[in-house]
Amino acid sequence: MTTAFIILLLPLVAAASNLLLLRKKANFSAFVSTFSAAICLVLTFGLIRQDDLNNLGSFNWIKIADLKLDIGIELHGLGLGMILVVTLIGFLVHLFSLGYMREDAGKARYFSGLSLFMFSMTGIVFADNLAMMFIFWELVGVSSYLLIGHWYHKNTAAEAAKKAFLVNRIGDFGFMIGILLIWGSFGSVNFVEIEGSLRNGNGNYDKGLLNWSVFCIFCGAIGKSAQVPLHVWLPDAMEGPTPVSALIHAATMVAAGVFMLTKVLFLIEVAPTAASVIQYVGAITALIAALMATQQNDIKKILAYSTLSQLGYMIMAVGFAGLLSGGEVLGEKASNAGFFHLYTHAFFKALLFLGSGAIIYACHHEQNIWKMGGLIGRMKVTSFTFLIATAALAGIYPLSGFYSKDAIMTIAANKPLLLVIGSFVAFLTAFYMTRLCVVVFFGRARSWSSEEAKEVPLLMLVPLLVLTIGAIFAGQTFAYSWFVPSKDIPHPEGVVLPLILTAIAVAGIIAGFFLYRGRDQEPYPVQVLSRKFYLDEIYIILVRIFQDAVAWVAKQIDRLLIDGLLVRGVARLVTEIGSVLRGMQSGNLQGYAFLFGVGVILVLYIINAAIG
Amino acid sequence: MIIDLIVFIPVIAALAIGLGAEGRKTALGAAGANLILGLIVISELMRKGGEELIFETSTVILENPKLTLGFAVDGMSGVLLLLTVIVTFCAVYVSPEKAPDGKVKLYHIAPLLISAGALGAFCSTDLFFLFAFHELALIPTFLMIGLYGHGRDKLAVAWKITIYLGVGSLILLGGLIALYSNLTSAESATFNIADLTAIAETMQLDQEVQKWIFLPLFLGFGILVSLFPFHSWAAPAYASAPTSIAMLHAGVLKKFGLYGILRVAMPMLPKGFEAWEGLILVLLLGNIIYVGFVTISQKYLDRMLGNSSVMHMGYAFLGIACVNHIGWNGAVLMMFAHGISIALLFALCGSLRERLSTLELSEIGGLASKVPFLAVSFGFAAFASIGLPGFANFASEITILFGAFNGAGEVGNLQKAAILALWGVVISAVYMLRAYRNVFQGDSAQGLTLVRRDSLNKIPIILMIVVLLLTGFFPNLILSMLPS
Amino acid sequence: MPTLNEYLLMGGLLFVIGLCGVMIRSNIIVILMSLEMMLSAANLTLVAFWRFGGGEGLPADSYNAQVMVFFVITVAAAEVAVGLAIIVALFRSRQTVDVEELRSMKG
Repeated sequence: MTTAFIILLLPLVAAASNLLLLRKKANFSAFVSTFSAAICLVLTFGLIRQDDLNNLGSFNWIKIADLKLDIGIELHGLGLGMILVVTLIGFLVHLFSLGYMREDAGKARYFSGLSLFMFSMTGIVFADNLAMMFIFWELVGVSSYLLIGHWYHKNTAAEAAKKAFLVNRIGDFGFMIGILLIWGSFGSVNFVEIEGSLRNGNGNYDKGLLNWSVFCIFCGAIGKSAQVPLHVWLPDAMEGPTPVSALIHAATMVAAGVFMLTKVLFLIEVAPTAASVIQYVGAITALIAALMATQQNDIKKILAYSTLSQLGYMIMAVGFAGLLSGGEVLGEKASNAGFFHLYTHAFFKALLFLGSGAIIYACHHEQNIWKMGGLIGRMKVTSFTFLIATAALAGIYPLSGFYSKDAIMTIAANKPLLLVIGSFVAFLTAFYMTRLCVVVFFGRARSWSSEEAKEVPLLMLVPLLVLTIGAIFAGQTFAYSWFVPSKDIPHPEGVVLPLILTAIAVAGIIAGFFLYRGRDQEPYPVQVLSRKFYLDEIYIILVRIFQDAVAWVAKQIDRLLIDGLLVRGVARLVTEIGSVLRGMQSGNLQGYAFLFGVGVILVLYIINAAIG
Repeated sequence: MIIDLIVFIPVIAALAIGLGAEGRKTALGAAGANLILGLIVISELMRKGGEELIFETSTVILENPKLTLGFAVDGMSGVLLLLTVIVTFCAVYVSPEKAPDGKVKLYHIAPLLISAGALGAFCSTDLFFLFAFHELALIPTFLMIGLYGHGRDKLAVAWKITIYLGVGSLILLGGLIALYSNLTSAESATFNIADLTAIAETMQLDQEVQKWIFLPLFLGFGILVSLFPFHSWAAPAYASAPTSIAMLHAGVLKKFGLYGILRVAMPMLPKGFEAWEGLILVLLLGNIIYVGFVTISQKYLDRMLGNSSVMHMGYAFLGIACVNHIGWNGAVLMMFAHGISIALLFALCGSLRERLSTLELSEIGGLASKVPFLAVSFGFAAFASIGLPGFANFASEITILFGAFNGAGEVGNLQKAAILALWGVVISAVYMLRAYRNVFQGDSAQGLTLVRRDSLNKIPIILMIVVLLLTGFFPNLILSMLPS
Repeated sequence: MPTLNEYLLMGGLLFVIGLCGVMIRSNIIVILMSLEMMLSAANLTLVAFWRFGGGEGLPADSYNAQVMVFFVITVAAAEVAVGLAIIVALFRSRQTVDVEELRSMKG
């Protein structure tokens, strides 16, 4: 049992024991989960210091003939960065939850779900083959389903959980096809082996099919990282407890799509068509989500759309891996830029969500920003951390977001259109975050709940402060160089691009500040944005047509045609024939005798004819 | 010898109940003994690898043609034997002490006879008894639905399943006779399956002959597995059958058709399959996509579960259509996984039926806080059924899909069918989660009363969940017994 | 002395009369008597064949036909006994011996 396997399995053990043994002792199960998360964090630091990252352990899951599916562990540089993000933020969220969920009736269930999530997410990071990644991919979907639906008695939560799972399943449908196409072409699903046969030119693949498989694999990322057109589940997922939103729907799980793309980088490099699809999907998501974020009123929804938009950035950057630039594909440079943003984003976005959790907790579960206000005086520490995170997200020097946004824009500069979109999104980001902060922290309290708000307990402040340190310093070389060398992350040449980007961000902040200062309600309502381009409504209609209507027709066919015409029809036919033959059963003795005689004569005649 | 014991213990127990032994206890004892014996057989199979037949016994009944009452297990039979003893144990465990009309005997004899018939069919070394044992198991099914079924139209349902399965068996019998008469001559007349397979391999019947023997065999076996478009008996029958019978038929007996195709039709008539491949792919997609949509539109929980079991059979057919060991082993794993999970779902549905006045999905809601154990175990069962990793169902589905794409450098018919079939995982998630959300989550529905609140049988439910998880985490436990 | 043909003609006539009786009459006792007449016709034919036996492909010096005749007579006697008993029982339960009214076998 290697260290890595312990990191993988410990949360599973915690989840199982919580579910089976400790349901009655909620506090103890919370302790078990948090403790397992702490141990995983410590072990991760051990893993980072470990020199030899080969042979981290492997377990044969399925073996039939040529098919060999393993649960094996492979960690290259980015994997180390990702596992640190997962265990560190995971642990902090456990800590925060101890306070946030203190009085919840389903506490044991909640912590089982968290542990299950830690297990599944670790599995995705560790996966050394596509099949294993898919397994844990599905499992994070389940834990997300369980946690979004934590307050299952609320109809909205139950619906949101279902929606998240189903939308993800659609993405997974594509992902699985991609995996199968790869398996068909290369006869293996192991990353190292596929890369090997791709480099050696083995395997019977053709270019077109490879593009399709990369596109299909990307569908998995579309679902999990909530890209357009499958982004609709993420805002609804905010029905879950806020710490869950911080961990799953901001920092880790939704970033899994980006991480997965960096793992199949070698495939994207040779599939330029699919790669440009990835870029555009990312860019469109970033744009649309940022636009929608400007008009939301629920504090968590704003952050959710902001997450969508940042994920779009990352996906777009990774998509550039397949772009030819100066006779060479951008490859690792692009994916490192995307991952770098994932890494810094995890800190400040988790911080924003936990901060909003603290605010919601303090405001008696009020989530509407127009009912808050003036919180900066009542919750000093929380406000301070929240503002730092906002600045990092807006990309203000020298916070972490500045560096990672620079890296992405350096890559995006290869396609002017995408650079323009990216810059506009940067402006919108600064704008809507400023709007949020101005409305929530400044001005006057707009309801009793925000008047009575007071600072949250220490247990919840500690994670905020730790994450603030991350949000400030994660962009510095010393904070990331241990998993990816500084030279491998693209930096803008000269100071022009950073200056322009900073100017854009400042412009966004100024615009947001002056437009929303002193307002008590939305001054410029834009229906189409606050209703999210009516996409939810359109999807509902599509589901009505393509699922419910088809299902209804199928049921009618089943009832009328197969059951009615075929089965009943056969039954009717048999009955009809029977009633014809029934006429011969007259009950008349002499009739029977007559028929008997005719029969005898007939038999005699036939025999005679046969002999003669 | 041990296999003979396993097959005849339920028969003896049934006789004992008929002669006045205490119903449920005797049945439970027999099922428990079988469970233990089954585990012994499995451990032996795992040790030997399951490539060849072990524990072979035979009693000669006719010399020429060679007809023997004999039993033996190899890997595939072993897996199904394990499935049968587990499901039988659980089904007997969940049946109440007395039938609704207060009678005891038939109520406990029928599950035992079904179990004996299934075990005999799966372990028989002889084509004749393979068929005969299955027929034996069908009779109690019909009787139980007609006598103790639920719903107003139980008699109509009993008739429907009788006619459907009767016709299916008849077609199958025709196919078997054609197969037998084409393979054997007067000197070498034998019913032994292994001998017949060997003859078929050396003799290599003409493509045309194989084609026309394969068709009735496939249709006959297919009707017994509710192959599209011969599926409309299944959902009403399972919705109407008493819990234990629904568990046994959907979980175990239905697998006989798949077993027959894998045991008889595919090895003896490989070219016959090739001739009909296109048709078979279309039919299995009918099972997955079309029946999937029918399932979505169901309004009652029990009907929905019945239809979902029809739908999942499509994946087993897909595994068979792969014509490689990956797909076939996946199909066998699928039979096992689906057998346990559907039995689990019907057991839970039965518990709900006892507690609620209706199973109409729109009428119930918010049960999770009222029956937490049922809610959690139904969650497990639903997740297993929609193929979530960690459960055996997922392992089998992924194996089948990998089998379909094995060595496929291009996307041919089989691969296209597999891709379409994959959409089924979305469909199944839609109806299962919808049902779960309606039954257990959200507001509790107005005016819904829990009829009964006595303790429920947790042991069989936990047992089935554990088996699903165990084989899901370690599918090699099952797969190592199958040839590769 | 009459020839074989005349015997056969006689037997045929008797058979047809019996057959007509069976087919047409509705009194079950008459039907039974007609049935006996048909048996007698068969007997007559058998004996006639024996009498003119040998030649024309028929075996000589065989008592097979006479043995058969005795069998038929025995069976006929038994049949009459059983038949009359049934008719009596039938009459007791239905108060009629008319076959037109005995149609409970109608499907």
